Amino acid sequence: MNSFVLIKQVPDQSAKAGVNADGTIDRAKAKRMLNPFDCFALEAALQTKRLYGATVTAITMGPPPAIEILYEAIAHGVDQAVHLCDRRLAASDTLATAYALYNTVRYAGDFDLVFCGLQTTDGDTAQVGPQLAERLQVPQVTYCESFEIQGEKLIARRVTESGTQVVQCPLPAVVTVANSAHRLAYRTLRGVQRVHQLQRDEVERNQVIQTVSLDDIQADPARCGLKGSPTIVAATEKVGEIGGKCVLFQGKPIEAMVSDLLADISLVELVQR
Amino acid sequence: MKQVLIFAEQTAGELRPVALELLGAGRQLADKLGASLSCVVMGTAIAHLPAALIAAGADLVYLADNPALETYRTLPYRRVFIDLIASMEEPPHIILLGSTTTGRDLAPRIAAYLETGLTADCTELDIGPYEHTSAQDPSKVGLYKNCLYAIRPSFGESLKARILGPWKNPQMATVRPGVMVALPRDATRQGTVQEIPVNLSTEDLGLVVLETLRAVSESVELAKADVIVSGGYGLGSTEGFVLMHELASCFENSAVGSSRKAVDSGWIAHAHQVGQTGKTVRPKLYIACGISGAIQHRVGMDKSATIIAINRDAYAPIFKFAHFGIVGDLYQIIPEMIQQLKQGSVPSNFSKTGETNVLTHTL
Ligand SMILES: Cc1cc2nc3c(=O)[nH]c(=O)nc-3n(C[C@H](O)[C@H](O)[C@H](O)COP(=O)(O)OP(=O)(O)OC[C@H]3O[C@@H](n4cnc5c(N)ncnc54)[C@H](O)[C@@H]3O)c2cc1C
Repeated sequence: MNSFVLIKQVPDQSAKAGVNADGTIDRAKAKRMLNPFDCFALEAALQTKRLYGATVTAITMGPPPAIEILYEAIAHGVDQAVHLCDRRLAASDTLATAYALYNTVRYAGDFDLVFCGLQTTDGDTAQVGPQLAERLQVPQVTYCESFEIQGEKLIARRVTESGTQVVQCPLPAVVTVANSAHRLAYRTLRGVQRVHQLQRDEVERNQVIQTVSLDDIQADPARCGLKGSPTIVAATEKVGEIGGKCVLFQGKPIEAMVSDLLADISLVELVQR
Repeated sequence: MKQVLIFAEQTAGELRPVALELLGAGRQLADKLGASLSCVVMGTAIAHLPAALIAAGADLVYLADNPALETYRTLPYRRVFIDLIASMEEPPHIILLGSTTTGRDLAPRIAAYLETGLTADCTELDIGPYEHTSAQDPSKVGLYKNCLYAIRPSFGESLKARILGPWKNPQMATVRPGVMVALPRDATRQGTVQEIPVNLSTEDLGLVVLETLRAVSESVELAKADVIVSGGYGLGSTEGFVLMHELASCFENSAVGSSRKAVDSGWIAHAHQVGQTGKTVRPKLYIACGISGAIQHRVGMDKSATIIAINRDAYAPIFKFAHFGIVGDLYQIIPEMIQQLKQGSVPSNFSKTGETNVLTHTL
């Protein structure tokens, strides 16, 4: 059985570094991290390894530093990785991203399941998973919280507005994993040792982590990056600070904090009149 | 004629509120464009829905009524949708879906099939011109009239981005539920109903819904409450909600809400849930107790006029968008708050005795 997991490196939003005055992100300066939503997808993929002996391949698209999250994935137990790295991918919107990832998935070979995070913290669209499924012409299970495999079928629980749905889905399929699913387990000792080994040994590294370009995966550059993106961000506008605006009471006796709070609310009311 | 097309979501023969909201927003866009407003509704035994959709603003309703469409599934709905678009002389100018779990599941598949742009989770929509001058991609340069302005919060909601894709129709967007305003119902409005074919392949029917656990339960008047006291996983047990009710009872016209994790833990009924898969509320005062402030909870309540958060973790995300917060144990803070409220050091605009004014924070 083959499981793929699609992961992305995103700017760390809790760190102030790399956030421009206008609120946009300076990706070169920002601290980087594995997209928190992808931790759940990673855990789901690793479950297929633990329970069904799957081989797990992590796939990412991003600039050279994105190899950091592939190391992270391997430390958690992922078997191998593909890193799509090409300047012509810059400014891809979700459609162009899904196209590039589709070609990467095809390059990586046959799969039973492709796991994606629900969304990313920098794009927040939740679109790439379904767009990828459309390209691959396979069914999808979005908002998946837990699953098992019975024969050739995936039995999955998904969250919807009208309740938790249990679905039976034929394989292969794309699954987007909810952030209310199982949390990512700790790194394994073996995984961590393997990463150390890979960082030292270039030959082995190139075997385990394949870095590929658009040409390697036979993707059409005209359908990637700016050119392949039907949408653009025409303007941005700041709408309030990340944090800092909350009037926060802490570190004082409970009674005082509560009366301060209640006093402040009446104060606001006075200002209103 | 130009068309603005809306996906009207329904469950068990009942329209979701977002369907009517989209018609409200779509009507404005269509009028600006001089276009007609159409919508597509799918399900089974839903012959009663077109009238409601026309009364809510639709000029034309495409109706797909088939047992295979009873519960939403990606591929059957996708098939009917793309067949509909293929049958049109020209593609719609704009397609809108709600950014519910269904809309967010379906819209990207249709956009990828049509190879067109899609903007997620919009909070404002408009029509206007756009001139593209950047020479980085010469094929895009030009002046475009009548673009869909899809406006959405991005990057942790601290930025609003205006996203455009005028190069190809349909220009697609999903729209956050609870944001757009439905038109008042007008039963005298005229419209056309057109039944559309449902041709599903075996592949389309591969996925089967085995069961839906916890369907929507009894109604709780969250939407109409002025004050909502909401409890989360931090309550630790169902007894915590006794405290929530007690705090709520200190206010006029109040109700008790909850996070999904508290519902999933079995501490309170789903009808109380606030958020993406629960209710969207905008009370005058929202008190979040032991709720971390996950995005799916936030989208259901961040339009509240004043938000107070009580959480023992000073770094909980809820403090990034609450107006007031107390860091500490809710089991110490709430009883104290109840006591002080009962003693009368009460902000008169919310208390049982006071008249109700609209209270807005000074931010
Ligand atoms: C598709 C999808 C849809 C979803 N829809 C919704 C939805 O509609 N509504 C919703 O709410 N969630 C929804 N969720 C779940 C959401 O992602 C979060 O998991 C959920 O909101 C977390 O609930 P919580 O804040 O109560 O729990 P937690 O995130 O566990 O937070 C508990 C908080 O309580 C605090 N705490 C603990 N003890 C105390 C104490 N004694 N005093 C004070 N503070 C304390 C902790 O510091 C913590 O911040 C959805 C998820 C998905 C994937």
